Amino acid sequence: MIKTPKLAANLLFGLAAATASMTAPVIAHAADLVIGEIHPITGPAAFYGLPESQAIKAAADEINTSGGVKVGNTSYQIVIKTADDQASPTVGVAALRKLLGEGAKFIIGPIASGVAPALKPIIESRPDVIQLIDGSIADGLTNGKTIFRNQASVQAYNDALTRLTKARAYPTVAVMTDRFHAGFMGSQKPLVEALEAQGNKVVAQEYHKLNDTDFAAQLTKIAALKPAALVLRGYPAEGALITKTARHLGYQGQVIWEFVSPPSTVLKNISPAEMEGVLNAIPPTSQDYVALGNEKALKLEARLKKMFNAEIGELSTLSYDAVYIFKAAIEKAGTLESAAVAKAFTQLKTTDVPMAINPYVPGADGLLFTDGQVGLPGGVQIWKGNGWQPLADLKLN
Amino acid sequence: MLDMLPQQLVNGLTLGSTYALIALGLTLVFGVLLIPNFAHGELYMLGAFSTYALVGAGVNFWMAVVIATAIVIALGVVLDRLVFQPLDHSSSLSLMIAALAASIILQQTATIIWGSEPRTTPSPIPGVLRMAGFSIAYFQIFVIALTLAAWGGVWLVLNRSRLGLAIRAVAQNKGAAQLMGIELRDVRLATFAIGALLGGLGGAILSANFPVYPTMGINPVLKAFVVLVLGGIGNLWGAILGGLLLGIVEVMVAGYISSQLQDVGTFLILVLVLLLRPQGLFGRVVLER
Repeated sequence: MIKTPKLAANLLFGLAAATASMTAPVIAHAADLVIGEIHPITGPAAFYGLPESQAIKAAADEINTSGGVKVGNTSYQIVIKTADDQASPTVGVAALRKLLGEGAKFIIGPIASGVAPALKPIIESRPDVIQLIDGSIADGLTNGKTIFRNQASVQAYNDALTRLTKARAYPTVAVMTDRFHAGFMGSQKPLVEALEAQGNKVVAQEYHKLNDTDFAAQLTKIAALKPAALVLRGYPAEGALITKTARHLGYQGQVIWEFVSPPSTVLKNISPAEMEGVLNAIPPTSQDYVALGNEKALKLEARLKKMFNAEIGELSTLSYDAVYIFKAAIEKAGTLESAAVAKAFTQLKTTDVPMAINPYVPGADGLLFTDGQVGLPGGVQIWKGNGWQPLADLKLN
Repeated sequence: MLDMLPQQLVNGLTLGSTYALIALGLTLVFGVLLIPNFAHGELYMLGAFSTYALVGAGVNFWMAVVIATAIVIALGVVLDRLVFQPLDHSSSLSLMIAALAASIILQQTATIIWGSEPRTTPSPIPGVLRMAGFSIAYFQIFVIALTLAAWGGVWLVLNRSRLGLAIRAVAQNKGAAQLMGIELRDVRLATFAIGALLGGLGGAILSANFPVYPTMGINPVLKAFVVLVLGGIGNLWGAILGGLLLGIVEVMVAGYISSQLQDVGTFLILVLVLLLRPQGLFGRVVLER
């Protein structure tokens, strides 16, 4: 009677030990620092997400080979756990739950502006989880406590656009927006107000959606109004088709894109000749930094080539920077404890992340984040030949 | 507003001809075999991807269209043999679920082979015809002509050949056709092959007009089902007229009301037709077989 509970306890202990030893290989050991990343690895936005995922792994590899993340006397090796959101909110929620289930408390991503708002309530219900968004530009995603973003906000995109339209003094502008893009739709009204306020009269606002194939009805209306500039806000495949159709319908004004558009994707849908002279008003991309000879960007490009035989993506440098921002925050906190790391995020200065490739604009007191959001300079690219080139003078082609 | 009307009508005819081209094969298979073939969109997609891949490998566009269409015909026959024939005596719900499953399997397979990034085959007929009041790309004129030619071809097969006679007999009364000595298996094979030909040909040609990606068949096949309802199920001429009507309505809604309501207009018409004329605008009332 007395021995039975002891026997049972021993059995339970044995079982627990056996279970622990069986599961040990899949659990990160004490000196591992798990970072989860959530991007569209497959699906219609994989051309954005896969290069981001690769850049995160490249940064982790670089940090690990140079000694890891140092917390006190311990050096942590970064272990990246990848989850594929397929740019779908429902898949994204499942992907986040998978990462959290695997013990990831530090999350990088997502990119899709439909996915990020779906993840927000889950992240906010878990104060021990810190998210750094490296892709989505939609408004209202950061909270400055546990959710931060090192990608530009949609406002920065709009600022780049309005600076361009002001410099070129377009008397009339038409805007065509993907009506399911949360970031663009949410900022449509303030953008139109900003354009009108600086003298760019908005003569038409038309809409389309991802995977649409026919835009002739909207473009016929726009072409009849003969606006000096046609602004497209959406995704590259549709942007290419809209640009082609607009030209077929006789539109001869300036076409301006306002979205990240890898040349490889663009050229799969439109010829270089049809793209010649199209402008893109967005903050500088990874490829701009490469084109400008930025040493760190060139180094990342070489590492991606070596590790994955892959080209640098438009957003790769943001994802790369995100890993270094986590490293800086954890080392500043001196612990892996979430509350301390989150606090360190709010205290990070741009100078604390010397390995960052993007030239983040310091906020008050040199801080990297203001209400969870970094500052990124705007820019304009022009399509010449087979790709985008930075446009130094907004008034010139 | 009215000065845009000629251009918008041309836009509507252009869009509608693509719907009609896709709906032709669907209405044939549905009308004869009573299979709601949701995987028709994937046959269209495979025609597009095969053409893109062949052109990328250096094959001439028109030759690529022929090869791609042949590939899709073979796949269509295999699809019928593996997915639909085993369910020949099952309910229409089982057939619908099987069609959806086939559709997803084909999409995923295409994703594994080609990835998910959209791409477009370079147009083999460049240039734009500019007239007073409207302009239209030469390739779009070709698509409209092809749609009419496809309808003419299918009409000839159905009305001027023994095979067509057999297909029409099976469509009217399967049991009586069998008693007359018609081999159902051959009719089924021919019907599916013609349906796949139309889907594959549509995808192959339109790959030069629309982006090609694994899920590109979903929207067109949904629109094609709307066309079927508008035109009357199994009615070839109805598929052409229904497709053109749908295209014109979509363009008019987007052009004169709001581009945000383009799809709402489509499905509003669907509901109205189902309520007021369930046999379709160009269909006849038939008794349940």
